[in-house]
Amino acid sequence: MKPNERMKTIKLIRRIIAWGIFVLLIVSFHKPDAFHWVIKYLPKIQFGQSLAGFFSRGSMTAVLTFLTLSVLAVILGRFFCGFLCPLGAFMDFAFFVRSKIKKRPFSFSTGRPHWLIFPSLLLISFWVGYPFPFGQLEPYSLFVSGHAFLLLVMLLAIFAGRAFCAYLCPTGLALRLLAGQSLLGFKLDPATCLNCGACQKACPAFCLNVRDKSLDRGRCLVCLECATVCPNGSLRYGLASPATPNPGRRRFLRLAGAGAMAAGAYLTGENLRARTFAQPDSQPIMPPGALSLAHLNAHCTLCHTCIAVCPNGAIQPSHSGTPILTAKPFLDPYMGFCQYDCVVCGEACPTGALSPLTVEAKRLTRLGLARFDRPECVVIKNSTSCGACAELCPTGAVRMAPGPSGQDEPTLDTDYCIGCGACQKACPVRPVSAIVVTGLSIQQTAKAPRVVISEDLIPTEDFPF
Amino acid sequence: MDRRSFIKTLLGGAAVLGLGNVIPRGPGAPMALAQGFPDLVAVKGTDVAAMYDRALEAIGGLGRFVGKGQKVLIKPNMGWAVEPKRAANTSPELLAHIIKNAKALGAAKISVFDNTCDNWRSAYGESGLEEAANAAGAEVAPANSERYFQKVTIPGDTKLGETSYHELYLEADVIINVPVLKHHGGAKMTAALKNMMGAIWDRSDLHWGGLDRCIPELMLYKKPTLNIVEAQRVLLTNGPRGHADSKYLAANMLLASTDPVAIDSAAYRIMAESGITEPGYIAHAASIGLGQNDLSRLNVQRLTV
Repeated sequence: MKPNERMKTIKLIRRIIAWGIFVLLIVSFHKPDAFHWVIKYLPKIQFGQSLAGFFSRGSMTAVLTFLTLSVLAVILGRFFCGFLCPLGAFMDFAFFVRSKIKKRPFSFSTGRPHWLIFPSLLLISFWVGYPFPFGQLEPYSLFVSGHAFLLLVMLLAIFAGRAFCAYLCPTGLALRLLAGQSLLGFKLDPATCLNCGACQKACPAFCLNVRDKSLDRGRCLVCLECATVCPNGSLRYGLASPATPNPGRRRFLRLAGAGAMAAGAYLTGENLRARTFAQPDSQPIMPPGALSLAHLNAHCTLCHTCIAVCPNGAIQPSHSGTPILTAKPFLDPYMGFCQYDCVVCGEACPTGALSPLTVEAKRLTRLGLARFDRPECVVIKNSTSCGACAELCPTGAVRMAPGPSGQDEPTLDTDYCIGCGACQKACPVRPVSAIVVTGLSIQQTAKAPRVVISEDLIPTEDFPF
Repeated sequence: MDRRSFIKTLLGGAAVLGLGNVIPRGPGAPMALAQGFPDLVAVKGTDVAAMYDRALEAIGGLGRFVGKGQKVLIKPNMGWAVEPKRAANTSPELLAHIIKNAKALGAAKISVFDNTCDNWRSAYGESGLEEAANAAGAEVAPANSERYFQKVTIPGDTKLGETSYHELYLEADVIINVPVLKHHGGAKMTAALKNMMGAIWDRSDLHWGGLDRCIPELMLYKKPTLNIVEAQRVLLTNGPRGHADSKYLAANMLLASTDPVAIDSAAYRIMAESGITEPGYIAHAASIGLGQNDLSRLNVQRLTV
C-alpha cells in the first residue's frame, strides 16, 4: 500500500461530508417542506452563524455550537473549513475546472493579507452601513444568498485556490485565531521529505513551506491535498510542534491593530447607521421574533434561511435603498402573509436574530399595524360586498360591520392587530391595498383576542324550510 | 373539387356543427335527471355518516352520479388552519365517508383539493381533512400555485369573463361539492355556491367585481354533479374563519341536492334566525338559470335519523 492511500481515503470521506452538506443545503432550500429537518439543523452547525448566535445569545443551540466548534478548532485545526463549509465544497468543484484549464501550481504565502483585507472591509462596511462582511463574505450566507458573488468566488478559486479562505473569509479569520496553535495538525517530516515540493504546489491555502518544513496551522484547511500527493508519506497528521516562528509581539500587534480597526469602525459607523433609518413611513415589517430593528441589524447575518423556510413566501430580502436594510429579511404582505400559528422562521434562524417563539407567544407578537384606507375600499368605491380582509384576519381585528355606506364594511380595531399582513394580501385593490400594514421598529404584544365561551344555540324548528 | 365532393364536405361540416350542439357541454354535465327523486333532501341527526347514508339513499344513491372508472373530484372546504371543532372546514369524517362510498362504486380516481386562504400545508393539516382523505384512499392534491390552474372563458354575458379552474376540476367526470355551512363576513354565507371560490385561482377578481354577481358565475362553466351541505355545527359570527368569540348553532343537519341554488336557499333558512341578511348571490344564481330558489316549488324530502 502506498503511503498516501490512507490519506486518499480520508480525503474522500472529507469530500463526501462537505459535498453532502453542499447538496443537502441546496435541496432543502428548494424543498423546505420535504427537508424540514435539514434546514432546521444544518445552518446551525455553521461556524459563522454560531459565532453570531453566541454574541446575540438568542439561542442556546448557537451558544453551545459555537463553544463546541471553537474547542474542536483549538484541538483539530480548521477542519470546519475542509469538512463542513458548503462554500469550501463549492470551491472543490472549482478546482476540478482549474485542473482542466490551468496547471500553474500554488506556492507558499505568508498569509498576511488576512490581517489587512478583512478588517478594512469591516471598516468600510460599518461606515457605509452595509454589513457585507456577513452578507457577502461570511461563507454560509454567501453560499445561500450571495448568488452574484458565487461567480466571483468560483473565478477566484479557479485562479487562486482557496485564497478566499486565506485572505477574505471572516469566519476563516476567527478560526485562524483559534487554530493557529492547534493541538493537532499536519507536519512535514524533515527526515523523510524528498524536497520535491509536490505538497506545496498542491496546497490551495498556501500555508505549506517546503524550504523550512513549516506549516501555518492557522491557515491549513485540513483539506488533505498535500498529504495525498506526497510520494513518501512525509506529511502526517498528529500532535503538532508548539513552536512557530515569531509568534509573540508581532502577532499581538497584528491582532491589536485589527481589533482597534474594528472597534473604531463600529464606533464611528454608529452615527452614520443611525441616520440611515430615520424614515418612519417606510418602516419595514420584521419577521416574528426579531424583537427590534436594532436587534435584527446587530445579529442577522443575511443567511436567508428564514426566507427559504417561510411556508407562505412572506419573508423576502429587502431591496431598500437604505444600506443597512439591504438584503435583510422583511415581510412583504403582497407576496404572502405571516401565518397565525407558524413559528418556522424563528426555529430555523441559526443566529438568534429571530428568537424562537412558542405558538402562543407568536399569536400575540405584533409585527406592525394595519391602516384602513376607507375611500379606496371596494365596498365604498364600487358599492359591492367584499370583506376579504376580515375573512383572512386571524385575530378579529378587522371585522365586517354595518357602516355609514349602508352595507357591511371593514372596521379595524388595532388593539388586536398583529400586523401579519393577511388583510393586505387578501384585499383586491391594487397596486396599493386599501388596508396596508406598516412595520414597527420594536415588536409589541397585541391584546389577546376576545374569548366568549358560548353554548351552541339550539334551533327552535326542526326544519326551517 | 367537383360539385359532388363539395356538397359532401358541406353536409359533413353541417353534421359536425349540428352534433356540437347535441353533445353536452363540459365533461361533468350531470346525467339525465332521473325522475322520482326529491329535488332536495334534508336529514336531521347527530351521526354525520348515517345522515349522509340516509340522504344519499333518498336521492337515489351515489351510484346515480358515480360510475366505474370515472374521475371524481370531491371539493370540501379546507381553507382554514383551524381544528375541526371550529367548524370552519368540512368535517373530516364526512369527507372520508364520501370517499369510501365513491371508491366502493369503482371510481378510478378520487381527488380532493382546496385553494386555501391560510397557508395550504397548515390548512390541509390542521383541518384534519388531508389525513382523513388519504386514509380513505383519495388523492389530496395541492392548489397553492397558479401552475395547477387553467384559464377558461365562462360562457354567456358575465362580469368575470374568464377565470382559472384547477386542472382536477376541469378533468373530473363527477364533482361532489361538500361545503360546510357557515357565516361569511363578505358574502354573508358560505355553502354550495360560495365553495366554488376554492376551485379557482384568483379570488380577488370576484371581490373586485362584486361577490353577489360573480360567485354564481363560477358554476356557469361547469356545475358540480352533486352538492352536499354539512350543517351540523353552524358558525354564526365572524365567518368564514371564526374567532374565539364566535357563536354557533347546533343545527345537526345535512342537505343534499343536485341544485346548488335550492340547497343554498335551504341552507340560508337554517341561518336566517341568526339575523344575517340573505346573500344576494342566491337570487342572482336563480336568475341566470343555475337552479330554483323558491323552495315551495320543489320536492323537498325531510328525514330524521
